[in-house]
Amino acid sequence: MTTDETAQGGSKTGPLPFDTTKPHQARVYDHLLGGKDNYAADRAAAEALLAVYPGAVYTARANRAFLGRVVRYLTAEAGIRQFLDIGTGIPTAGNTHEIAQAIAPESRVVYVDYDPIVLAHARALLDSSDAGATEYIDADLRHTDTILAGAAGVLDFSKPVAVTLLAILHAIPDPDDPYAIVARLLDAVPSGSYLAISHAASDLLDQETMRSFANSWNSRGQQRITWRTREQVARFFTSTDLVEPGLVRVDEWRPTAGPASAGTSNEWGAVGRKR
Amino acid sequence: MNTVVPGGETPDAGLEESQAEATVLRMLLGTQLRRLREAAGIPVDKAGYEIRASRSKLSRMETGRVGLKLRDIEDLLTLYGVVDEEQRVNVLALAKRSREPEWWAQYNDILPGWFETYLALESAASVIRSFETQFVPGLLQTEEYARAVTRLGHQTAPEQEIERRVSLRLRRQEVLARRQPPRFWAIVDEAALRRPIGGAAVMREQLRHLVHAARRPGVRLQVVPFARGGHAGASGSFSILRFQERDLPDVVYIEQLTSSVYLDQRSDVEHYLEVVDRLSSEALPPADTISFIEQAASET
Repeated sequence: MTTDETAQGGSKTGPLPFDTTKPHQARVYDHLLGGKDNYAADRAAAEALLAVYPGAVYTARANRAFLGRVVRYLTAEAGIRQFLDIGTGIPTAGNTHEIAQAIAPESRVVYVDYDPIVLAHARALLDSSDAGATEYIDADLRHTDTILAGAAGVLDFSKPVAVTLLAILHAIPDPDDPYAIVARLLDAVPSGSYLAISHAASDLLDQETMRSFANSWNSRGQQRITWRTREQVARFFTSTDLVEPGLVRVDEWRPTAGPASAGTSNEWGAVGRKR
Repeated sequence: MNTVVPGGETPDAGLEESQAEATVLRMLLGTQLRRLREAAGIPVDKAGYEIRASRSKLSRMETGRVGLKLRDIEDLLTLYGVVDEEQRVNVLALAKRSREPEWWAQYNDILPGWFETYLALESAASVIRSFETQFVPGLLQTEEYARAVTRLGHQTAPEQEIERRVSLRLRRQEVLARRQPPRFWAIVDEAALRRPIGGAAVMREQLRHLVHAARRPGVRLQVVPFARGGHAGASGSFSILRFQERDLPDVVYIEQLTSSVYLDQRSDVEHYLEVVDRLSSEALPPADTISFIEQAASET
Protein backbone atom coordinates (compact mmCIF):
# COMPACT_ATOMS: atom_id res chain seq x y z
CA MET A 1 0.00 0.00 0.00
CA THR A 2 1.25 3.49 -0.71
CA THR A 3 2.14 5.83 2.06
CA ASP A 4 -0.63 8.41 2.32
CA GLU A 5 1.64 11.33 2.86
CA THR A 6 3.35 10.82 -0.50
CA ALA A 7 0.02 11.31 -2.22
CA GLN A 8 -0.46 14.80 -0.88
CA GLY A 9 -1.21 17.56 -3.29
CA GLY A 10 -2.12 21.16 -2.75
CA SER A 11 -4.27 21.10 0.39
CA LYS A 12 -3.54 20.77 4.09
CA THR A 13 -4.45 17.42 5.55
CA GLY A 14 -4.87 15.79 8.92
CA PRO A 15 -7.28 16.45 11.76
CA LEU A 16 -8.89 19.87 11.67
CA PRO A 17 -8.10 22.33 14.42
CA PHE A 18 -10.92 23.14 16.83
CA ASP A 19 -12.28 26.27 15.17
CA THR A 20 -15.83 27.52 15.46
CA THR A 21 -15.12 30.84 13.78
CA LYS A 22 -14.98 29.31 10.30
CA PRO A 23 -17.93 27.40 8.90
CA HIS A 24 -17.50 23.65 8.75
CA GLN A 25 -19.43 21.51 6.28
CA ALA A 26 -20.66 19.10 8.98
CA ARG A 27 -22.05 21.93 11.09
CA VAL A 28 -23.54 23.79 8.13
CA TYR A 29 -25.28 20.51 7.22
CA ASP A 30 -26.44 20.22 10.81
CA HIS A 31 -28.01 23.67 10.57
CA LEU A 32 -29.62 22.91 7.20
CA LEU A 33 -31.04 19.72 8.70
CA GLY A 34 -32.49 21.62 11.66
CA GLY A 35 -29.88 20.60 14.25
CA LYS A 36 -28.57 22.70 17.12
CA ASP A 37 -24.90 21.75 17.02
CA ASN A 38 -23.71 24.65 14.96
CA TYR A 39 -22.20 28.05 15.53
CA ALA A 40 -22.81 31.59 14.30
CA ALA A 41 -20.27 31.21 11.48
CA ASP A 42 -21.94 28.01 10.30
CA ARG A 43 -25.38 29.60 10.30
CA ALA A 44 -24.11 32.67 8.48
CA ALA A 45 -22.56 30.44 5.81
CA ALA A 46 -25.78 28.44 5.51
CA GLU A 47 -27.87 31.59 5.15
CA ALA A 48 -25.48 33.04 2.55
CA LEU A 49 -25.66 29.75 0.69
CA LEU A 50 -29.46 29.69 0.80
CA ALA A 51 -29.54 33.22 -0.62
CA VAL A 52 -27.88 32.03 -3.83
CA TYR A 53 -29.06 28.42 -3.75
CA PRO A 54 -32.39 27.95 -1.98
CA GLY A 55 -32.26 24.24 -2.78
CA ALA A 56 -29.52 23.67 -0.17
CA VAL A 57 -31.95 22.47 2.53
CA TYR A 58 -33.56 20.03 0.13
CA THR A 59 -30.16 18.77 -1.02
CA ALA A 60 -28.97 18.27 2.57
CA ARG A 61 -32.14 16.35 3.42
CA ALA A 62 -31.94 14.34 0.21
CA ASN A 63 -28.37 13.35 1.02
CA ARG A 64 -29.41 12.23 4.50
CA ALA A 65 -32.35 10.27 3.08
CA PHE A 66 -30.04 8.69 0.49
CA LEU A 67 -27.82 7.47 3.35
CA GLY A 68 -30.86 5.83 4.93
CA ARG A 69 -31.95 4.05 1.75
CA VAL A 70 -28.40 2.97 0.89
CA VAL A 71 -27.68 1.47 4.31
CA ARG A 72 -31.08 -0.22 4.34
CA TYR A 73 -30.44 -1.68 0.89
CA LEU A 74 -26.93 -2.82 1.81
CA THR A 75 -28.06 -4.47 5.04
CA ALA A 76 -31.42 -5.91 4.04
CA GLU A 77 -30.82 -6.80 0.38
CA ALA A 78 -27.06 -7.06 -0.14
CA GLY A 79 -26.44 -8.82 3.19
CA ILE A 80 -23.67 -6.43 4.29
CA ARG A 81 -22.82 -6.50 7.99
CA GLN A 82 -19.71 -4.29 8.04
CA PHE A 83 -19.59 -0.58 7.27
CA LEU A 84 -16.77 1.89 6.94
CA ASP A 85 -18.55 5.25 7.12
CA ILE A 86 -16.09 8.00 6.25
CA GLY A 87 -17.29 11.55 6.84
CA THR A 88 -19.68 10.75 9.66
CA GLY A 89 -21.00 14.24 10.26
CA ILE A 90 -22.77 15.45 13.39
CA PRO A 91 -25.03 12.67 14.63
CA THR A 92 -28.68 13.22 13.81
CA ALA A 93 -31.65 10.89 13.41
CA GLY A 94 -30.98 7.72 11.40
CA ASN A 95 -27.23 7.20 11.69
CA THR A 96 -25.59 4.35 9.76
CA HIS A 97 -25.30 1.86 12.63
CA GLU A 98 -28.83 2.59 13.83
CA ILE A 99 -30.28 1.75 10.42
CA ALA A 100 -28.06 -1.29 9.93
CA GLN A 101 -28.48 -2.65 13.46
CA ALA A 102 -32.27 -2.20 13.30
CA ILE A 103 -32.18 -4.77 10.47
CA ALA A 104 -29.16 -6.82 11.57
CA PRO A 105 -28.13 -6.13 15.20
CA GLU A 106 -24.75 -7.79 14.65
CA SER A 107 -23.73 -5.08 12.15
CA ARG A 108 -20.37 -3.45 12.81
CA VAL A 109 -19.73 0.16 11.88
CA VAL A 110 -16.53 2.18 11.89
CA TYR A 111 -17.06 5.92 11.72
CA VAL A 112 -14.29 8.16 10.46
CA ASP A 113 -14.12 11.93 10.63
CA TYR A 114 -11.42 14.54 10.99
CA ASP A 115 -13.42 17.18 12.79
CA PRO A 116 -12.88 17.14 16.58
CA ILE A 117 -16.45 18.27 17.29
CA VAL A 118 -17.98 15.61 15.05
CA LEU A 119 -15.86 12.92 16.71
CA ALA A 120 -16.69 14.02 20.24
CA HIS A 121 -20.41 13.98 19.40
CA ALA A 122 -20.22 10.67 17.60
CA ARG A 123 -18.46 9.02 20.52
CA ALA A 124 -20.95 10.42 22.98
CA LEU A 125 -24.17 9.98 21.06
CA LEU A 126 -23.85 6.86 18.95
CA ASP A 127 -24.66 3.72 20.93
CA SER A 128 -24.02 0.34 19.37
CA SER A 129 -26.37 -2.58 19.88
CA ASP A 130 -24.91 -5.21 22.22
CA ALA A 131 -24.63 -7.70 19.36
CA GLY A 132 -22.78 -5.35 17.03
CA ALA A 133 -20.01 -2.82 17.42
CA THR A 134 -19.14 0.77 16.61
CA GLU A 135 -15.75 2.45 16.54
CA TYR A 136 -14.64 6.00 15.85
CA ILE A 137 -11.48 6.96 14.07
CA ASP A 138 -9.96 10.41 13.98
CA ALA A 139 -8.50 10.61 10.49
CA ASP A 140 -8.47 12.59 7.29
CA LEU A 141 -9.90 10.70 4.31
CA ARG A 142 -6.55 11.21 2.58
CA HIS A 143 -4.84 9.10 5.25
CA THR A 144 -6.19 5.77 4.14
CA ASP A 145 -3.47 3.80 5.97
CA THR A 146 -4.58 5.29 9.29
CA ILE A 147 -8.22 4.59 8.48
CA LEU A 148 -7.67 0.99 7.40
CA ALA A 149 -5.35 0.19 10.31
CA GLY A 150 -7.84 1.65 12.79
CA ALA A 151 -10.84 -0.07 11.20
CA ALA A 152 -9.12 -3.48 11.27
CA GLY A 153 -9.82 -3.70 15.01
CA VAL A 154 -13.56 -3.88 14.37
CA LEU A 155 -13.98 -4.93 10.74
CA ASP A 156 -12.90 -8.23 9.22
CA PHE A 157 -11.37 -7.28 5.89
CA SER A 158 -11.57 -10.84 4.61
CA LYS A 159 -15.37 -10.39 4.45
CA PRO A 160 -17.34 -7.84 2.42
CA VAL A 161 -17.36 -4.28 3.72
CA ALA A 162 -19.47 -1.35 2.55
CA VAL A 163 -17.39 1.80 2.20
CA THR A 164 -19.67 4.82 2.38
CA LEU A 165 -18.33 8.19 1.23
CA LEU A 166 -21.32 10.49 1.42
CA ALA A 167 -20.87 14.17 0.66
CA ILE A 168 -17.16 13.99 1.43
CA LEU A 169 -15.23 13.39 -1.82
CA HIS A 170 -16.09 16.89 -3.02
CA ALA A 171 -13.93 18.15 -0.12
CA ILE A 172 -10.93 16.48 -1.80
CA PRO A 173 -9.49 18.65 -4.59
CA ASP A 174 -8.00 17.06 -7.71
CA PRO A 175 -4.34 17.58 -6.65
CA ASP A 176 -5.03 15.25 -3.67
CA ASP A 177 -6.13 12.58 -6.15
CA PRO A 178 -9.51 11.46 -4.81
CA TYR A 179 -9.54 8.60 -7.36
CA ALA A 180 -6.40 7.08 -5.84
CA ILE A 181 -7.91 7.44 -2.36
CA VAL A 182 -11.04 5.51 -3.35
CA ALA A 183 -8.89 2.92 -5.16
CA ARG A 184 -6.77 2.36 -2.02
CA LEU A 185 -9.90 1.84 0.08
CA LEU A 186 -11.39 -0.60 -2.42
CA ASP A 187 -8.08 -2.49 -2.67
CA ALA A 188 -8.37 -3.25 1.04
CA VAL A 189 -11.78 -4.94 0.81
CA PRO A 190 -12.66 -8.23 -0.88
CA SER A 191 -14.73 -8.79 -3.98
CA GLY A 192 -18.43 -8.49 -3.16
CA SER A 193 -17.82 -5.38 -1.05
CA TYR A 194 -19.73 -2.21 -1.82
CA LEU A 195 -18.91 1.43 -2.47
CA ALA A 196 -21.51 4.16 -1.88
CA ILE A 197 -20.88 7.76 -2.87
CA SER A 198 -22.81 10.99 -2.97
CA HIS A 199 -21.07 13.97 -4.50
CA ALA A 200 -21.83 17.64 -5.19
CA ALA A 201 -22.65 17.98 -8.90
CA SER A 202 -21.22 20.60 -11.24
CA ASP A 203 -23.64 19.76 -14.04
CA LEU A 204 -27.05 19.90 -12.36
CA LEU A 205 -27.30 23.63 -11.66
CA ASP A 206 -27.11 26.50 -14.13
CA GLN A 207 -23.71 28.16 -14.49
CA GLU A 208 -24.63 31.34 -12.69
CA THR A 209 -26.02 29.57 -9.61
CA MET A 210 -22.95 27.33 -9.59
CA ARG A 211 -20.65 30.35 -9.66
CA SER A 212 -22.47 32.14 -6.81
CA PHE A 213 -22.62 28.88 -4.82
CA ALA A 214 -18.89 28.34 -5.26
CA ASN A 215 -18.03 31.93 -4.38
CA SER A 216 -20.26 31.88 -1.35
CA TRP A 217 -18.89 28.64 0.03
CA ASN A 218 -15.26 28.60 -0.98
CA SER A 219 -14.63 32.10 0.38
CA ARG A 220 -15.68 31.04 3.88
CA GLY A 221 -15.58 27.34 4.59
CA GLN A 222 -12.93 25.25 6.30
CA GLN A 223 -13.15 22.89 3.34
CA ARG A 224 -13.25 24.05 -0.27
CA ILE A 225 -15.68 22.17 -2.44
CA THR A 226 -14.73 20.66 -5.78
CA TRP A 227 -17.90 20.10 -7.79
CA ARG A 228 -17.70 17.23 -10.30
CA THR A 229 -19.69 16.14 -13.32
CA ARG A 230 -21.68 12.93 -13.53
CA GLU A 231 -18.91 11.44 -15.66
CA GLN A 232 -16.23 12.42 -13.15
CA VAL A 233 -18.25 10.88 -10.31
CA ALA A 234 -18.76 7.72 -12.38
CA ARG A 235 -14.98 7.24 -12.53
CA PHE A 236 -14.93 6.51 -8.78
CA PHE A 237 -16.88 3.33 -9.53
CA THR A 238 -14.42 1.97 -12.11
CA SER A 239 -13.79 -1.39 -10.45
CA THR A 240 -17.41 -1.95 -9.47
CA ASP A 241 -20.73 -2.92 -11.04
CA LEU A 242 -23.35 -0.29 -10.30
CA VAL A 243 -26.47 -1.40 -8.49
CA GLU A 244 -29.75 -0.37 -10.14
CA PRO A 245 -30.63 2.39 -10.99
CA GLY A 246 -26.98 3.32 -11.50
CA LEU A 247 -25.57 6.79 -11.04
CA VAL A 248 -28.44 9.24 -10.55
CA ARG A 249 -29.40 12.25 -8.48
CA VAL A 250 -29.44 11.05 -4.87
CA ASP A 251 -33.18 11.63 -4.60
CA GLU A 252 -33.75 9.40 -7.64
CA TRP A 253 -31.84 6.47 -6.16
CA ARG A 254 -34.44 3.85 -5.19
CA PRO A 255 -36.88 6.44 -3.84
CA THR A 256 -39.42 5.14 -1.37
CA ALA A 257 -43.05 5.26 -2.42
CA GLY A 258 -44.78 8.44 -1.40
CA PRO A 259 -45.71 11.86 -2.64
CA ALA A 260 -43.53 13.24 -5.43
CA SER A 261 -40.47 14.99 -4.03
CA ALA A 262 -40.64 18.71 -3.52
CA GLY A 263 -37.30 19.60 -5.06
CA THR A 264 -34.25 18.55 -6.99
CA SER A 265 -31.04 17.65 -5.23
CA ASN A 266 -27.69 18.83 -6.45
CA GLU A 267 -25.78 15.64 -5.69
CA TRP A 268 -24.96 12.58 -7.71
CA GLY A 269 -25.22 9.26 -5.93
CA ALA A 270 -24.63 5.59 -6.63
CA VAL A 271 -23.82 2.24 -5.07
CA GLY A 272 -21.39 -0.14 -6.74
CA ARG A 273 -20.44 -3.75 -5.98
CA LYS A 274 -16.74 -4.54 -6.18
CA ARG A 275 -15.96 -7.05 -8.90
CA MET B 1 -33.31 35.36 30.30
CA ASN B 2 -29.75 35.98 31.46
CA THR B 3 -31.02 36.28 34.92
CA VAL B 4 -29.60 35.51 38.30
CA VAL B 5 -32.12 33.53 40.23
CA PRO B 6 -32.02 33.79 44.00
CA GLY B 7 -30.98 30.61 45.66
CA GLY B 8 -32.01 28.51 48.59
CA GLU B 9 -30.21 30.56 51.19
CA THR B 10 -32.07 33.73 50.33
CA PRO B 11 -35.49 32.66 49.06
CA ASP B 12 -37.06 36.07 49.63
CA ALA B 13 -34.70 38.07 47.46
CA GLY B 14 -35.35 39.71 44.11
CA LEU B 15 -38.84 38.97 42.86
CA GLU B 16 -38.25 40.14 39.32
CA GLU B 17 -35.30 37.81 38.94
CA SER B 18 -37.58 34.81 39.13
CA GLN B 19 -38.81 35.92 35.72
CA ALA B 20 -36.26 33.54 34.22
CA GLU B 21 -38.03 30.60 35.77
CA ALA B 22 -41.33 31.83 34.43
CA THR B 23 -39.79 31.97 30.96
CA VAL B 24 -38.56 28.44 31.24
CA LEU B 25 -41.91 27.21 32.50
CA ARG B 26 -43.68 29.04 29.66
CA MET B 27 -41.37 27.28 27.21
CA LEU B 28 -42.35 23.94 28.69
CA LEU B 29 -46.02 24.81 28.67
CA GLY B 30 -45.88 26.02 25.08
CA THR B 31 -44.12 22.83 24.02
CA GLN B 32 -46.75 20.69 25.69
CA LEU B 33 -49.53 22.61 24.00
CA ARG B 34 -47.84 22.27 20.64
CA ARG B 35 -47.45 18.53 21.08
CA LEU B 36 -51.12 18.23 21.98
CA ARG B 37 -52.13 20.37 19.00
CA GLU B 38 -50.01 18.35 16.59
CA ALA B 39 -51.30 15.09 18.04
CA ALA B 40 -54.82 16.34 17.36
CA GLY B 41 -53.79 17.31 13.81
CA ILE B 42 -54.98 20.88 14.20
CA PRO B 43 -53.24 23.61 12.19
CA VAL B 44 -51.85 26.69 13.92
CA ASP B 45 -54.34 29.12 12.37
CA LYS B 46 -57.31 27.07 13.46
CA ALA B 47 -56.04 26.90 17.03
CA GLY B 48 -55.33 30.63 16.94
CA TYR B 49 -58.84 31.33 15.68
CA GLU B 50 -60.29 29.43 18.62
CA ILE B 51 -58.72 31.86 21.08
CA ARG B 52 -58.93 34.95 18.82
CA ALA B 53 -55.15 35.01 18.35
CA SER B 54 -53.19 35.39 15.13
CA ARG B 55 -51.18 32.54 13.73
CA SER B 56 -47.92 34.23 14.75
CA LYS B 57 -49.19 34.93 18.25
CA LEU B 58 -50.08 31.27 18.71
CA SER B 59 -46.62 30.31 17.48
CA ARG B 60 -45.06 32.68 19.97
CA MET B 61 -47.18 31.14 22.72
CA GLU B 62 -46.04 27.68 21.74
CA THR B 63 -42.38 28.69 21.98
CA GLY B 64 -42.91 30.38 25.34
CA ARG B 65 -42.26 33.90 24.16
CA VAL B 66 -45.62 35.19 25.33
CA GLY B 67 -47.86 33.98 28.11
CA LEU B 68 -51.30 32.44 27.84
CA LYS B 69 -54.49 33.13 29.72
CA LEU B 70 -55.85 30.20 31.68
CA ARG B 71 -59.18 30.56 29.90
CA ASP B 72 -57.41 30.29 26.52
CA ILE B 73 -55.52 27.21 27.62
CA GLU B 74 -58.76 25.58 28.69
CA ASP B 75 -60.30 26.35 25.29
CA LEU B 76 -57.25 25.00 23.47
CA LEU B 77 -57.25 21.80 25.51
CA THR B 78 -60.91 21.28 24.63
CA LEU B 79 -60.19 21.97 20.96
CA TYR B 80 -57.33 19.45 21.09
CA GLY B 81 -59.66 16.84 22.51
CA VAL B 82 -57.93 16.69 25.89
CA VAL B 83 -60.80 15.59 28.09
CA ASP B 84 -58.85 13.64 30.69
CA GLU B 85 -59.28 15.70 33.84
CA GLU B 86 -55.87 14.82 35.27
CA GLN B 87 -54.07 15.81 32.09
CA ARG B 88 -55.96 19.10 31.99
CA VAL B 89 -55.14 19.81 35.61
CA ASN B 90 -51.45 19.14 34.99
CA VAL B 91 -51.22 21.49 32.05
CA LEU B 92 -53.16 24.17 33.91
CA ALA B 93 -50.98 23.77 36.99
CA LEU B 94 -47.93 24.40 34.85
CA ALA B 95 -49.65 27.44 33.39
CA LYS B 96 -50.44 28.78 36.84
CA ARG B 97 -46.85 28.33 37.93
CA SER B 98 -45.58 30.06 34.82
CA ARG B 99 -47.89 32.99 35.59
CA GLU B 100 -46.81 33.31 39.19
CA PRO B 101 -43.15 34.26 39.28
CA GLU B 102 -43.02 34.02 43.04
CA TRP B 103 -44.42 30.52 43.19
CA TRP B 104 -41.20 29.25 44.71
CA ALA B 105 -41.53 31.55 47.71
CA GLN B 106 -43.54 28.90 49.49
CA TYR B 107 -40.44 26.69 49.67
CA ASN B 108 -38.91 28.48 52.54
CA ASP B 109 -36.88 25.73 54.14
CA ILE B 110 -34.54 23.75 51.90
CA LEU B 111 -36.07 23.60 48.48
CA PRO B 112 -35.00 26.65 46.54
CA GLY B 113 -37.31 27.66 43.75
CA TRP B 114 -34.57 27.63 41.17
CA PHE B 115 -33.99 24.03 41.94
CA GLU B 116 -37.62 23.11 41.28
CA THR B 117 -37.29 24.91 37.97
CA TYR B 118 -34.15 23.04 37.24
CA LEU B 119 -35.93 19.77 37.96
CA ALA B 120 -38.67 20.77 35.54
CA LEU B 121 -36.09 21.60 32.89
CA GLU B 122 -34.03 18.53 33.54
CA SER B 123 -37.05 16.30 33.14
CA ALA B 124 -38.00 17.99 29.87
CA ALA B 125 -34.51 17.88 28.35
CA SER B 126 -33.47 15.41 25.68
CA VAL B 127 -29.75 15.95 26.24
CA ILE B 128 -28.04 17.16 29.40
CA ARG B 129 -24.40 18.11 29.04
CA SER B 130 -22.51 19.05 32.15
CA PHE B 131 -19.04 19.98 33.22
CA GLU B 132 -17.95 19.46 36.82
CA THR B 133 -14.72 20.71 38.29
CA GLN B 134 -14.92 19.64 41.95
CA PHE B 135 -17.62 17.05 42.50
CA VAL B 136 -19.02 13.98 40.84
CA PRO B 137 -22.14 15.12 38.89
CA GLY B 138 -25.24 15.14 41.10
CA LEU B 139 -27.07 12.71 38.82
CA LEU B 140 -24.35 10.10 39.36
CA GLN B 141 -23.67 10.51 43.08
CA THR B 142 -24.09 7.70 45.59
CA GLU B 143 -26.16 8.41 48.67
CA GLU B 144 -23.11 8.51 50.96
CA TYR B 145 -21.17 10.79 48.64
CA ALA B 146 -24.19 13.09 48.29
CA ARG B 147 -24.46 13.20 52.09
CA ALA B 148 -20.80 14.16 52.41
CA VAL B 149 -21.12 16.88 49.76
CA THR B 150 -24.25 18.22 51.43
CA ARG B 151 -22.52 18.38 54.81
CA LEU B 152 -19.71 20.40 53.22
CA GLY B 153 -22.15 23.01 52.00
CA HIS B 154 -24.29 23.08 55.14
CA GLN B 155 -21.89 22.62 58.02
CA THR B 156 -24.24 23.76 60.74
CA ALA B 157 -27.46 22.27 59.39
CA PRO B 158 -29.33 19.81 61.60
CA GLU B 159 -29.24 16.16 60.60
CA GLN B 160 -32.87 16.20 59.49
CA GLU B 161 -32.22 18.98 57.00
CA ILE B 162 -29.16 17.19 55.63
CA GLU B 163 -31.30 14.11 55.05
CA ARG B 164 -33.95 16.14 53.21
CA ARG B 165 -31.31 17.59 50.96
CA VAL B 166 -29.83 14.19 50.26
CA SER B 167 -33.21 12.74 49.40
CA LEU B 168 -33.81 15.70 47.10
CA ARG B 169 -30.57 14.93 45.27
CA LEU B 170 -31.51 11.27 44.94
CA ARG B 171 -34.94 12.23 43.66
CA ARG B 172 -33.22 14.12 40.86
CA GLN B 173 -31.54 10.92 39.72
CA GLU B 174 -34.90 9.40 38.88
CA VAL B 175 -34.76 11.27 35.60
CA LEU B 176 -32.14 8.80 34.33
CA ALA B 177 -34.29 5.82 35.30
CA ARG B 178 -37.16 6.96 33.12
CA ARG B 179 -38.33 4.80 30.25
CA GLN B 180 -36.99 7.35 27.77
CA PRO B 181 -34.30 9.10 29.77
CA PRO B 182 -32.44 12.14 28.51
CA ARG B 183 -28.94 11.54 27.23
CA PHE B 184 -26.59 12.54 30.03
CA TRP B 185 -23.18 13.56 28.74
CA ALA B 186 -20.91 14.66 31.55
CA ILE B 187 -17.34 15.84 31.59
CA VAL B 188 -15.49 15.87 34.89
CA ASP B 189 -12.15 17.28 35.82
CA GLU B 190 -9.85 14.66 37.30
CA ALA B 191 -9.95 16.67 40.54
CA ALA B 192 -13.54 15.52 41.04
CA LEU B 193 -12.36 11.90 40.96
CA ARG B 194 -9.37 12.40 43.23
CA ARG B 195 -10.82 14.49 46.04
CA PRO B 196 -11.91 11.86 48.58
CA ILE B 197 -15.20 13.43 49.61
CA GLY B 198 -16.52 11.56 52.64
CA GLY B 199 -13.27 9.60 53.04
CA ALA B 200 -11.60 6.85 51.06
CA ALA B 201 -14.31 4.23 51.52
CA VAL B 202 -17.12 6.53 50.38
CA MET B 203 -15.04 7.72 47.46
CA ARG B 204 -14.14 4.20 46.36
CA GLU B 205 -17.77 3.21 46.35
CA GLN B 206 -18.59 6.39 44.43
CA LEU B 207 -15.96 5.65 41.79
CA ARG B 208 -17.21 2.09 41.35
CA HIS B 209 -20.70 3.48 40.98
CA LEU B 210 -19.40 5.86 38.31
CA VAL B 211 -17.86 3.01 36.34
CA HIS B 212 -21.19 1.21 36.46
CA ALA B 213 -23.14 4.36 35.55
CA ALA B 214 -20.81 5.24 32.67
CA ARG B 215 -21.70 1.90 31.05
CA ARG B 216 -25.40 2.65 31.00
CA PRO B 217 -26.61 3.26 27.45
CA GLY B 218 -27.82 6.83 27.92
CA VAL B 219 -24.85 7.99 29.98
CA ARG B 220 -21.51 9.22 28.64
CA LEU B 221 -18.74 10.23 30.95
CA GLN B 222 -15.46 11.85 29.97
CA VAL B 223 -12.64 12.83 32.29
CA VAL B 224 -10.18 15.64 31.67
CA PRO B 225 -6.96 14.27 33.19
CA PHE B 226 -4.52 16.51 35.04
CA ALA B 227 -1.99 15.50 32.42
CA ARG B 228 -3.90 17.57 29.86
CA GLY B 229 -2.76 20.73 31.63
CA GLY B 230 -5.07 23.72 31.53
CA HIS B 231 -8.38 23.30 29.81
CA ALA B 232 -11.25 25.21 28.30
CA GLY B 233 -13.47 24.87 31.36
CA ALA B 234 -11.31 26.83 33.74
CA SER B 235 -14.22 29.09 34.64
CA GLY B 236 -16.12 26.40 36.52
CA SER B 237 -19.00 23.96 36.47
CA PHE B 238 -22.12 24.36 34.35
CA SER B 239 -24.82 22.38 32.55
CA ILE B 240 -26.42 22.80 29.15
CA LEU B 241 -29.92 21.47 28.68
CA ARG B 242 -31.17 20.70 25.22
CA PHE B 243 -34.76 20.06 24.25
CA GLN B 244 -36.04 17.91 21.44
CA GLU B 245 -38.14 20.68 19.97
CA ARG B 246 -36.42 22.56 17.23
CA ASP B 247 -37.71 25.93 18.40
CA LEU B 248 -36.63 25.62 22.01
CA PRO B 249 -33.21 27.10 22.67
CA ASP B 250 -30.59 25.36 24.75
CA VAL B 251 -30.45 26.60 28.32
CA VAL B 252 -27.24 27.01 30.29
CA TYR B 253 -27.52 26.52 34.02
CA ILE B 254 -24.84 27.63 36.43
CA GLU B 255 -25.20 26.95 40.13
CA GLN B 256 -23.51 29.35 42.47
CA LEU B 257 -23.14 29.33 46.22
CA THR B 258 -26.39 31.10 46.98
CA SER B 259 -28.05 31.39 43.61
CA SER B 260 -28.20 30.05 40.10
CA VAL B 261 -28.08 31.55 36.63
CA TYR B 262 -29.98 30.55 33.51
CA LEU B 263 -28.81 31.70 30.10
CA ASP B 264 -30.77 31.18 26.93
CA GLN B 265 -29.57 34.01 24.68
CA ARG B 266 -27.97 32.41 21.67
CA SER B 267 -24.70 34.33 22.02
CA ASP B 268 -24.29 33.35 25.69
CA VAL B 269 -25.31 29.75 25.15
CA GLU B 270 -23.00 29.46 22.18
CA HIS B 271 -20.04 30.47 24.32
CA TYR B 272 -20.76 27.62 26.74
CA LEU B 273 -21.49 25.24 23.88
CA GLU B 274 -18.10 25.99 22.47
CA VAL B 275 -16.42 25.41 25.84
CA VAL B 276 -18.19 22.09 26.33
CA ASP B 277 -17.49 21.02 22.74
CA ARG B 278 -13.86 21.90 23.21
CA LEU B 279 -13.75 20.08 26.56
CA SER B 280 -15.30 16.95 25.08
CA SER B 281 -12.78 16.90 22.27
CA GLU B 282 -9.89 17.43 24.73
CA ALA B 283 -11.11 14.98 27.39
CA LEU B 284 -10.50 11.23 27.30
CA PRO B 285 -13.04 9.48 25.07
CA PRO B 286 -15.86 7.69 26.96
CA ALA B 287 -14.32 4.21 26.61
CA ASP B 288 -10.91 5.30 27.96
CA THR B 289 -12.63 7.20 30.75
CA ILE B 290 -14.06 3.98 32.19
CA SER B 291 -10.62 2.42 32.56
CA PHE B 292 -9.29 5.69 33.95
CA ILE B 293 -11.93 5.66 36.70
CA GLU B 294 -11.29 1.98 37.46
CA GLN B 295 -7.65 2.89 37.93
CA ALA B 296 -8.55 5.86 40.13
CA ALA B 297 -10.77 3.59 42.25
CA SER B 298 -7.90 1.17 42.80
CA GLU B 299 -5.70 4.06 43.91
CA THR B 300 -8.25 5.50 46.33
